[in-house]
Amino acid sequence: MTTVASAEPRAGGPDERAGAQERARGVRFVPGQPDMWVFVLFEALVFTSYFTVYVIRRTQSPDLFLQSQAHLDLRVGVFNTLVLLVSSWAVARCVQAAREGSFSAALNNAYLTMLFGFVFLVSKVLEWATEIEQGFGFTTDEFFSFYYFLTAIHFLHLLIGFVVLGVAVYEIRSPARRSQELVETCATYWHTIDFFWVLIFALLYVMR
Amino acid sequence: MNRRFEKRLSFVWLALSAITLAQLALASLGEQDALTPNAAVTSSAIVIALIKVRVVIREFMEVRYAPVLLCRLTDLWMALTGVSLLGSYFVGMALSTG
Amino acid sequence: MSAATVRAVPEMPSGSLIRKIAWHWRHDDKRELWIGWWTLVIFYNLYGLLFFLIARTQPPPPPSLAPSEIVQWFDDRHYGLLYGYAFVSIVGGATAIMNATLAYTMRRMSVSRAFAYSYLVIYALATLPGMLIMGVACTVGAMRPDRDPELMSWLYDFAFLSFEGTMGVFLIGSLVWMVAVLLDENRVFPKWFGYLNLCNALTEVVVAPAWIFKRGVFAWDGAIAWWINMAVFVTYTTVFLTLLRKMIVREDFGSGPLPELESDHALEPAGALGAAR
Repeated sequence: MTTVASAEPRAGGPDERAGAQERARGVRFVPGQPDMWVFVLFEALVFTSYFTVYVIRRTQSPDLFLQSQAHLDLRVGVFNTLVLLVSSWAVARCVQAAREGSFSAALNNAYLTMLFGFVFLVSKVLEWATEIEQGFGFTTDEFFSFYYFLTAIHFLHLLIGFVVLGVAVYEIRSPARRSQELVETCATYWHTIDFFWVLIFALLYVMR
Repeated sequence: MNRRFEKRLSFVWLALSAITLAQLALASLGEQDALTPNAAVTSSAIVIALIKVRVVIREFMEVRYAPVLLCRLTDLWMALTGVSLLGSYFVGMALSTG
Repeated sequence: MSAATVRAVPEMPSGSLIRKIAWHWRHDDKRELWIGWWTLVIFYNLYGLLFFLIARTQPPPPPSLAPSEIVQWFDDRHYGLLYGYAFVSIVGGATAIMNATLAYTMRRMSVSRAFAYSYLVIYALATLPGMLIMGVACTVGAMRPDRDPELMSWLYDFAFLSFEGTMGVFLIGSLVWMVAVLLDENRVFPKWFGYLNLCNALTEVVVAPAWIFKRGVFAWDGAIAWWINMAVFVTYTTVFLTLLRKMIVREDFGSGPLPELESDHALEPAGALGAAR
């Protein structure tokens, strides 16, 4: 089973380059702990069920949802999406760098990921503040209930993402500790937050 | 860093960002119809989102290089999500306006 | 601490279930753990039976009922509530055994004993909102059906808000277990179970809007606050009962990593989990 063979602990050094070569030769490996993938798939199912409930409720009061949706700023949604995409790019580069032994590059990319994550957080809080100031709160109407619910649960996942990135940084910083598998695991979690947002963006800001 | 992979990642990121900006441009064009339900806009929004998600999963999350089981499971979830969202939308709209 | 000393144990008899159970009672080192496990299984099934089929307080009724409808609700369930919760009050003490068994898994881990103890305290407290308050409120309501409808409404809200809305305890409990599993080097549970605890904890957060909404998907009977939450909780419970059983089979009463089952060697990724660190 190739999975078993390639899931050896891959600390920095010659093993890293071997890992990159393995991939070049077409040996398949699970990125990070398979355990994190169990979480990703399960949580993805839960989010799909939340999204489905949202769409169903939306079709039952299309006009209400459309009118309320008009109070959201699509440009902010786009900005949020771009920011998270960049953060995903940064953490993917972090994984690559760590895999090839360039640990200071990996560390920089990890910090960059955190920075972009933080930009998203600030942007989201400002957006909420603006909406509330305009009089659109959690209980204003059903659309806004879903808006705050979906963005808030995503926000919570993002906060956890900072803890996860912290673990990755901690791993990368010490030569004694480095575990490629753990860094990849953390990246997997972060990407998940990104692709959840891609769907939330489409459902809250774009769909009609 | 391995140049090929670095370039691939950058390309993927640019493509995803471009699609996102395109969505903004398209939406700005249809401003006047913002208050009518539009099945075409909705379906394309969901489909485009799923395409972006698939790219993130396969490229950023490296599922391209993962064992076939993981590829299948992630594809299965994406298909399920697509069917669930599009299905709910079309059935729901038909029921509420019919 | 080394593994338990071997002593001469007679062969397990083949034949009737009674004889096998008797053998386990007398000779099995793990009988207390198995008693704990069976208590969990039986109790959860009883709980489901009592809440869903006898008292019929689950799935929950809507928060938006008028006082007269609430009186009707109590009336429809008069005997179910009284007898159902009488039974709950008898078996309720089993939660002590259940929580002890789960705390044991944390004692077996390489992490601080504080995890096991905090889990015990949290879940001991959790029996209040998770079972007893609803039982008391509902039986108080059922006991005197001619009470003022406004008072019945009060009891109804008190019962369901305590039961559905107080997820904070379970949230923290899940997080304690999650951190314990993720830090553990004895491989008592797979790491994915640690992450599943996070999923469970997050769905508890999702119930919080039930305090605000009386209608819709975020009300205490809503699609999101109850149905999806319950689906996650049932999955989570089934999973941990299965993993717990496996853990008991693997248990060697040592203090180092728990041995894997032979059938799992083919599936276990080499050097994964704790060893990678």
